[in-house]
Amino acid sequence: MPVAASAIYFLNLRGDVLINRLYRDDVGKTIKHASIEVEKPVLRNIAFSIFKQFFAIRRTFPCIAVRTSYSEGNMVDAFRTHIMQTKELGTCPVRQIGGCSFFYMRISNVYIVIVVSSNANVACAFKFVVEAVSLFKSYFGGAFDEDAIRNNFVLIYELLDEIMDFGYPQNLSPEILKLYITQEGVRSPFSSKPSDRPVPNATLQVTGAVGWRREGLVYKKNEVFLDIVESVNLLMSSKGVVLRCDVTGKILMKCFLSGMPDLKLGLNDKIGLEKESQLKSRPTKSGKTIELDDVTFHQCVNLTRFNSEKTVSFVPPDGEFELMKYRITEGVNLPFKVLPTIKELGRTRMEVNVKVKSVFGAKMFALGVVVKIPVPKQTAKTSFTVTSGRAKYNAAIDCLVWKIRKFPGQTEPTLSAEVELISTMTEKKSWTKPPIQMEFQVPMFTASGLRVRFLKVSIIPF
Amino acid sequence: MAPPPPQSNRSPSPSQPSGKSEVSDLKSQLRQLAGSRAPGADDSKRDLFKKVISNMTIGIDVSSLFGEMVMCSATSDIVLKKMCYLYVGNYAKGNPDLALLTINFLQRDCKDEDPMIRGLALRSLCSLRVANLVEYLVGPLGSGLKDNNSYVRMVAVIGVLKLYHISASTCIDADFPATLKHLLLHDPDTQVVANCLSALQEIWTLESSTSEEAARERETLLSKPVVYYLLNRIKEFSEWAQCLVLELVAKYIPSDNSEIFDVMNLLEDRLQHANGAVVLATIKVFLQLTLSMADVHQQVYERIKAPLLTQVSSGSPEQSYAVLSHLHLLVMRAPYIFSADYKHFYCQYNEPSYVKKLKLEMLTAVANESNTYEIVTELCEYAANVDIPIARESIRAVGKIALQQYDVNAIVDRLLQFLEMEKDYVTSEALVLVKDLLRKYPQWSQDCIAVVGNISSKNVQEPKAKAALIWMLGEYSQDMHDAPYVLESLVENWDEEHSAEVRLHLLTAVMKCFFKRPPETQKALGAVLAAGLADFHQDVHDRALFYYRLLQYNVSVAENVVSPPKQAVSVFADTQSSEIKDRIFDEFNSLSVVYQKPSYMFTDKEHRGTFEFADELGNLSISAESGESVVPAQRVEANDKDLLLGTSEKDEGRDPGSNGSAYYAPSLNGSSAPSATSQPLADLAFPTTGISSQAPTSSLAIDDLLGLGFPDGTAATPSPPPLNLNSKAVLDPGTFQQKWRQLPISSSEEHSLSPQGIASLTTPHALVRHMRSHLIHCIASGGQSPNFKFFFFAQKAEATSIYLVECIINTSSTKSQIKIKADDQSSSQAFSTLFQSALSKFGLS
Repeated sequence: MPVAASAIYFLNLRGDVLINRLYRDDVGKTIKHASIEVEKPVLRNIAFSIFKQFFAIRRTFPCIAVRTSYSEGNMVDAFRTHIMQTKELGTCPVRQIGGCSFFYMRISNVYIVIVVSSNANVACAFKFVVEAVSLFKSYFGGAFDEDAIRNNFVLIYELLDEIMDFGYPQNLSPEILKLYITQEGVRSPFSSKPSDRPVPNATLQVTGAVGWRREGLVYKKNEVFLDIVESVNLLMSSKGVVLRCDVTGKILMKCFLSGMPDLKLGLNDKIGLEKESQLKSRPTKSGKTIELDDVTFHQCVNLTRFNSEKTVSFVPPDGEFELMKYRITEGVNLPFKVLPTIKELGRTRMEVNVKVKSVFGAKMFALGVVVKIPVPKQTAKTSFTVTSGRAKYNAAIDCLVWKIRKFPGQTEPTLSAEVELISTMTEKKSWTKPPIQMEFQVPMFTASGLRVRFLKVSIIPF
Repeated sequence: MAPPPPQSNRSPSPSQPSGKSEVSDLKSQLRQLAGSRAPGADDSKRDLFKKVISNMTIGIDVSSLFGEMVMCSATSDIVLKKMCYLYVGNYAKGNPDLALLTINFLQRDCKDEDPMIRGLALRSLCSLRVANLVEYLVGPLGSGLKDNNSYVRMVAVIGVLKLYHISASTCIDADFPATLKHLLLHDPDTQVVANCLSALQEIWTLESSTSEEAARERETLLSKPVVYYLLNRIKEFSEWAQCLVLELVAKYIPSDNSEIFDVMNLLEDRLQHANGAVVLATIKVFLQLTLSMADVHQQVYERIKAPLLTQVSSGSPEQSYAVLSHLHLLVMRAPYIFSADYKHFYCQYNEPSYVKKLKLEMLTAVANESNTYEIVTELCEYAANVDIPIARESIRAVGKIALQQYDVNAIVDRLLQFLEMEKDYVTSEALVLVKDLLRKYPQWSQDCIAVVGNISSKNVQEPKAKAALIWMLGEYSQDMHDAPYVLESLVENWDEEHSAEVRLHLLTAVMKCFFKRPPETQKALGAVLAAGLADFHQDVHDRALFYYRLLQYNVSVAENVVSPPKQAVSVFADTQSSEIKDRIFDEFNSLSVVYQKPSYMFTDKEHRGTFEFADELGNLSISAESGESVVPAQRVEANDKDLLLGTSEKDEGRDPGSNGSAYYAPSLNGSSAPSATSQPLADLAFPTTGISSQAPTSSLAIDDLLGLGFPDGTAATPSPPPLNLNSKAVLDPGTFQQKWRQLPISSSEEHSLSPQGIASLTTPHALVRHMRSHLIHCIASGGQSPNFKFFFFAQKAEATSIYLVECIINTSSTKSQIKIKADDQSSSQAFSTLFQSALSKFGLS
């Protein structure tokens, strides 16, 4: 059984129920009200005679047993008292209380809790929650929080009924669900004469091939957008040695194409290029090739073809989606180097010097650079000198925020600040020195060097 | 069935004045709208329904509106219908009488021309969960399963499962499982197929405990045609359904190696799937399929490494936690494969502590000669971390690495640096580790003692750390200049010491110190013995008294007892047995991996029987509250025994074969009616001894009743050809269980044991060792005198055929019961003779 979830709850941060959906009765049965009882040995023996085959060797002293249990409606109480109101919150996303396991996830100001009574598949359950949330988001148009839930609870109930039945996940793809669960919800898409119009859902599922795309889409202007977004994961020791560096990137697409288009994407990855030159029996073109450590694709990508020909070919879903994700560990170029020196001068003064070096080409530039340098909570006064951009102290996040709108390559602006601290009695708690954060955009720069070589679109006329 | 209108007259009519409470207000408004066909009525109804549902959600009992809600449900508005269905589903169980009202309109909706409505109505009908309404379900379900719209079929299939949970007999009598089986193999819609699969698995698993046929049906789900059919269509399935299919495939046992490779080739691209759950399910298939091929199994580890590491770094922390738990399991099984990837397990500042903790454990596991330096350097960074639990964990990790490495030189220096960091928790953890280190590597004592000697015992507060410090003071008192005086000052503060553990250590340490430096310690010794004798803690008191008498008797004897020359500890005991680890591995991709214990330890008792052990429940609640992941050893042991007896019981029940059904009945008989086993009922009144001797005797009687037993003794059988066994036979518990389940019993015999054998059988291990010398290996054993149970296996030399043996020995009746299953039936008799002769030699040598 991949999930067989018994119930799903949406709670706010105080533990109030926003939505609850019980799929199965079994969570109530295993868990009853808290009570202390003394077992009588006589009763035990009768039970033993029946189950002696199973429990042949057992200690048999009468004992006092504390039963911690809850009635069906009190699963939420169990979660509240055992997880939300204790230090356990945040220590582990999977907890067992009584006979049930609770999987919980916090998304903005909402806890989503799945309760199972059996040995469920954890990865599947969490993935389900993540997918469900993205489904809700696509319905609400963006935010998923307490207010959105309160405003749309009827819709959520409808969706919960469709995406899971008796604890088994059903269809979670927004493209299909939006066909028959609409925000307005006034009319059923299955008109009063089903024989006239084929039911879109059914036909799609029968054809099976493209469950993520509706048939009969028409756009006057056919458009495709493609973005590569990379996040660099860098771990540096206190001495400046790079311990670990890898890139997780994703290719995001936005497609507004008519009909059932077939797309093909070419990247400058090593294996793909080698395979291509092999097929066309000509030597590999010079230029940088990238070795992808691992790739995962959106379900629309033909995986068999990727494995045999190493080309990414797919029939895209309509609208926005994440085409692929990849991971690269070799040859990662970093756009910036941040060199901080922080001196604590006595108990009440600190000197902060931060130098940011841009290491990409001199012709390129970064946009909207924001450097956040954390300072202790008890900061009283700050004074800055910066060689470029503007800086100020933001007390709400305990950071010096340094903004540079346009940051050309191969330059190194610096910030030096003096921070005065309020002297406090509770000196014992040392400052944690959280990492410096930096936000930026560098157009036409990828840390991994990955480039899109081509994107072929062939629209099949219909 | 009464139509709704007359019902409305009956419903509690003396209406409260509106506005008195919200519920009654809603009620009157609903009633006004009930018959209205005015344009706009649907919209106002919808608002009202929303209010009702929102009240229901926050826990206000709105069940009194049942009648009105049902009346208002006569509408064509699908959203209204859905809200009404939700309401009805929620309250029908508590109001079975009112639920009857809804049957009528639900049944009508089940025949609606809109498939959406048909499906929704059917789903709600099945969700009523009222036992006496099941008769109304059968008809709509039957037509739902045959509906030409896949949405309705999809709902109907799960409906069958719901019906089964309400009333199993109704479901079976209507022959729904057979219909589902047909749909499983023939429906064009993959979601229908997937739902069939989940429904059938659940139904047949639950049925198989009582019905032989269901057990067989469940096996057919795992048969080649079904598995191949599903595998060939796997790309059409939704990602969730793929997980389901892959879970099934993981249990499939291919007939030969080429089949294994076919399946793996087919599924390889699933490792690239964006859904982490699909990737994990595929990994499970790969791991399970290749269990028997060691070299391919290794390659699988290499292959799955990259996808797993990708999954770790993508998605929310919760998702990566789920993946990391699995990675953790694999790292523990094969650390050397991951030792080059240790940098992936470095912690990041913003990771939640549960992820960090797993990563620390993995770093410990993958440490080897080449990467120890880097890993320890990194761990030392964490030790300075502000997150105290993580800092502690990292220090412990350093210690563990030190204990598993040969080159500890650098690590010892690090640990000693910790001691000088002057943070209380760091010092405490480091002290405990230094103590363990010294027990394993006494040669480092000079360096460590020099540092430890500088630590003031006043700065150490935690009992464990204090005990460690005191232990070192006692053990190395000859090297530590002021040891006697430190101990003396500790003795002076005896009354302020709250931990019994520390006091016990103090007693022993002063004793040790006394033997090494008598004149300096004599005063402290007197004081400590006096304090110990006056102690209110029983153990402390007893130990003090024991030392006192020992010293009175003979001082040199006392020295031999208290402070004998120490031998370095070579290996520290593993906390989890390998058997448990293998079971967790078998349950890959489930909660077991996250909890790090096999499922039988945490799932419901209902799988083991309806009777609940109260003390077990107590245990459970304790562990839930304290958050201890380590199960007390005793409990594990108890569960193991239980498991051994439990599984074999199930296995026998599941055994296919000609005598299967005949076998079942008497076994029930034997267990429920003790008189049949010729054991007086009185025995049962003395559970401690009575029960334990009961089990084997009764099952012994079962075999007799069955007449399963082959002619007693092997003397009658013609002398078989000599059988040679493979000396290096290997079999893992998973395969053993699979085989045991599949194979029929090829021989079942009962023998008497020699008195010498009985005498030497004090622990299971004695026999296990003996049998190993005869090339018969033990895979599991358990029990206490007088009952022992063993599972053995052996392999034929120069052949792959395996023999499996279940052997139950009762030392009080000096009988042994042996069941043998074999791959190669023809030689099983020969093996039986061999086994018998090996067993008879037990205790003679």
